[in-house]
Amino acid sequence: MVYSKKSPALFIIGLIMLAIWYLGDSGLMNGYIEHLGGKKYKYFGEITSLPLYFGLISAAFGLMQWLGPQKEGNWDYFTSAIAGAMFILIIAMLVRWFVAPEIAVWSKAMGKVGDTGKYIHKLLGLNYIVLGIVVGIIVVNVFKVPGWAENGVRLSRLGLKTGVILLGTLYSAAELKNLGGLSIIMIGFFVLGSVGMVLWMGARRNIPNSMGGVLSAGMGVCGVSATVAAAPVVQAKSVEIAYTIGTILLWGVGCMFLFPIIGQLLGMSYVQFGAWAGTGILNSAQVAGAALAFQPDGIETLKVAEIFNITRVLILPIIVIWLAVWYVKREQTGEAVKVGKVIFEKFPLFVLGFILLFALSTTGIFAPPLHYKGKYFDNTKVKASKMMTDEQIATLTANSDKIQRADQKAALNRLIEGRKIASIEDDATIRGLVNSRVMGKDSGKILKKAHKAVRWTAPKIKAFRKWITWLFAFGLVGLGMQITIGSMKQAGGQPAIIGGIVGFTKAALSLVVVMMFVKETI
Amino acid sequence: MNSSQNVLLASHGTDGAQAAELVALELCEQGGHVHHLIVVPTLWKGMTGDDWLNNGKTRNTFRRYLEDQLSAECDENIKRVKTAVEAHDLRYTSEVIVGEPDECLENTSTRESFDLIVMGSPRPKGKSGLRSRMQTKKIDKLSTPIYIVPYPDE
Repeated sequence: MVYSKKSPALFIIGLIMLAIWYLGDSGLMNGYIEHLGGKKYKYFGEITSLPLYFGLISAAFGLMQWLGPQKEGNWDYFTSAIAGAMFILIIAMLVRWFVAPEIAVWSKAMGKVGDTGKYIHKLLGLNYIVLGIVVGIIVVNVFKVPGWAENGVRLSRLGLKTGVILLGTLYSAAELKNLGGLSIIMIGFFVLGSVGMVLWMGARRNIPNSMGGVLSAGMGVCGVSATVAAAPVVQAKSVEIAYTIGTILLWGVGCMFLFPIIGQLLGMSYVQFGAWAGTGILNSAQVAGAALAFQPDGIETLKVAEIFNITRVLILPIIVIWLAVWYVKREQTGEAVKVGKVIFEKFPLFVLGFILLFALSTTGIFAPPLHYKGKYFDNTKVKASKMMTDEQIATLTANSDKIQRADQKAALNRLIEGRKIASIEDDATIRGLVNSRVMGKDSGKILKKAHKAVRWTAPKIKAFRKWITWLFAFGLVGLGMQITIGSMKQAGGQPAIIGGIVGFTKAALSLVVVMMFVKETI
Repeated sequence: MNSSQNVLLASHGTDGAQAAELVALELCEQGGHVHHLIVVPTLWKGMTGDDWLNNGKTRNTFRRYLEDQLSAECDENIKRVKTAVEAHDLRYTSEVIVGEPDECLENTSTRESFDLIVMGSPRPKGKSGLRSRMQTKKIDKLSTPIYIVPYPDE
C-alpha cells in the first residue's frame, strides 16, 4: 500500500512557511510586528529561523510527493507522516506568532476587566495553546482532517511523549523529590477516592459492573487514556464506552478553559495551579493544555502538572488490575487476572525516557549538577544593576531582628556586607528565610531578587525549554484534531450524572487542599 | 399504504428502528425482498479521543475490542431481523457499512432500485441512547419514497 498522497498541499505549506520567513527576515513585516507589540513581541527570533528550516523540508518533500513517483515501502510509510506533521506545525506557528498576539492587542485595547486588574485574554487564558487546540477541534469537526494529513496528525502523541521525556532534563533531584512526594499523596488520595466514589455511586444507582468499572477508571485516573486501557478488562459495552468517553471529553475540554480562569482569579502560584490541574482535571491531555494556558511563556506550571500526569499513568496499571480483580469477583467469571501481563502491557515506556534524561541531568551534562528548577548558582557574574542598593540594605537591616536562627542571621549579614549572596549554602539558607516569611513582605521581595541575581539558566536548558514548548504546542494542536463533537455528544446517561458529581467533587476538593497546603516556593 | 416488492430497511436495533422493522414486514409483498442496511456511525472512529498516554498495543487492544463489540451487536441485529423476515416468507439480504447514516442510505438507495425505504423516527428527548441523528436534508431529496415510522408510544 502507498501511504503518501499525490497532493500539492505539503508544497504549499512549505511555500507559506518560506513566505513568513522572508517577510520577517527582510523587514517587510516590521510594521505588523510593531502593531503586535514592537520590542515586547517575543517571537521575532523564531520567525526569522524556524519557518526557513521547516519551509525547506516541506517544500522539498512536498514536491517529491506531488510530482515524484510513488512506491510502496518503509520510506513511503514514514515520509507520508510529514504532510500531517507540517499541517499541525503551520497551525501552531500561525496561532503562536500572529493569532494569539493579535487577540492580546485587541484585549489590551479593551482595557482591564473590572477590579481583577487583568486583561480579558489573560483572564480567559486566550493564548496560543488554548487557541491552537480550539483550531484543531474546529478543523476536525467543521472541515475534517484532510486525507493527506491523516497519517501525520497521529504524530501529535509522539510530540507530547517526546516533550515529557525532554522535561526530564529540567528537574533537579530536590525538586523531583518534593513534587514527586506531593503528587503521590494527592494523586493517591484523589485517584483512589474517585475510583471508590464512582464504584459506590454505581452500586447505589444499579448500573452494570462493566459501566461502573470503565467509568471509575476514566473519572479516577487519567480520563480517556484510562478508559481505553480499562474497557476491555471490564468488558464494557460499546454504549458504556461511548457514554464514558463523551462525558470525560466534554468535562475535560470545559475544565481546560475554566481552570486557568479560576487560577488567575485566585492568584494561584505556578506550583499551586500545576498541582490543582494535575489532580482535578480528569483527562491527561487537558492537564497539559490547562498548565500551558495558565503560563504560556514559561514551563514551570507544566513541569508540576506533568509530574502529576506521570504519577497518574504509573498508577494506571495498578488501577486496571484492581478493576480486573473487582470485575472478575463481581461477575464470577472465574477468569484469572494475569497481573504480570497487565503491568507489562500497560507500562508507559516513555516514562523510562523521562527517568533516563532526569538521571543524565543529575550528572551535570545539561546544567551544573546542583541546579534547582533548571537554574544553577553563580555569584561571580552578577551585574552591578542587580547588586543590592543602600535602600534595600536598610530595609533588611531594619527587619533583621525578627530572625531567630543563627545560620539565617549569618547568611543575611554576609549578604548585606557583600551586596550579593555569598555562597550556594547561603543561597539555600536565604531561600528558607524567604519561605518562612519572618522578615515581612518587603524584605521577602528583596531577598527573592538577591536569590534571582545569582541564579542562571544553562544554555542547554534554555534550548530544551524552547523545544519542550514547541513539542507540547504541536502535540496539543494535533490532539485537538482528534476531539470530535460526535464523541463528545455521547455524554449522557448514568455516566454523565455520576461523572458530573465525582468530577466536580474532585475539582473542588483538590482546589481546597491545594490552597490550604501547597505553598509557593522559590 | 400500497405494498412493495423491494424494501430497503434502515435499522440498527434501537426501539425506533424495531418499530420500522415491523412496518417493513407488513408493507413488503409476499415473496418480496427486504434489504437490511446497518450503518455503524463514524463517531466510533473518534472513540480513542485525545488519549496519548497509552502505548500502541493498549490502543490496538481497545480498537479490536470495540470493533468486536460493534460487530457482535450487528450480528445479533442481523440474526433477529433475518428470522423475522424469513418467517414472513420474504427474501432477506443485509449489509453493514461504516459511515454517516444519511450518506450511506443515499448511496445504498441509489445503487439498487427499491420501491420503498423504511426507517425509524429519531429518538425523542429524554430517551437514553447514542446521539447520532440522521441529517434529513439529504434523504429528503431521494427519488425513492421514504416511510419514517413514528417512535413507539409517541
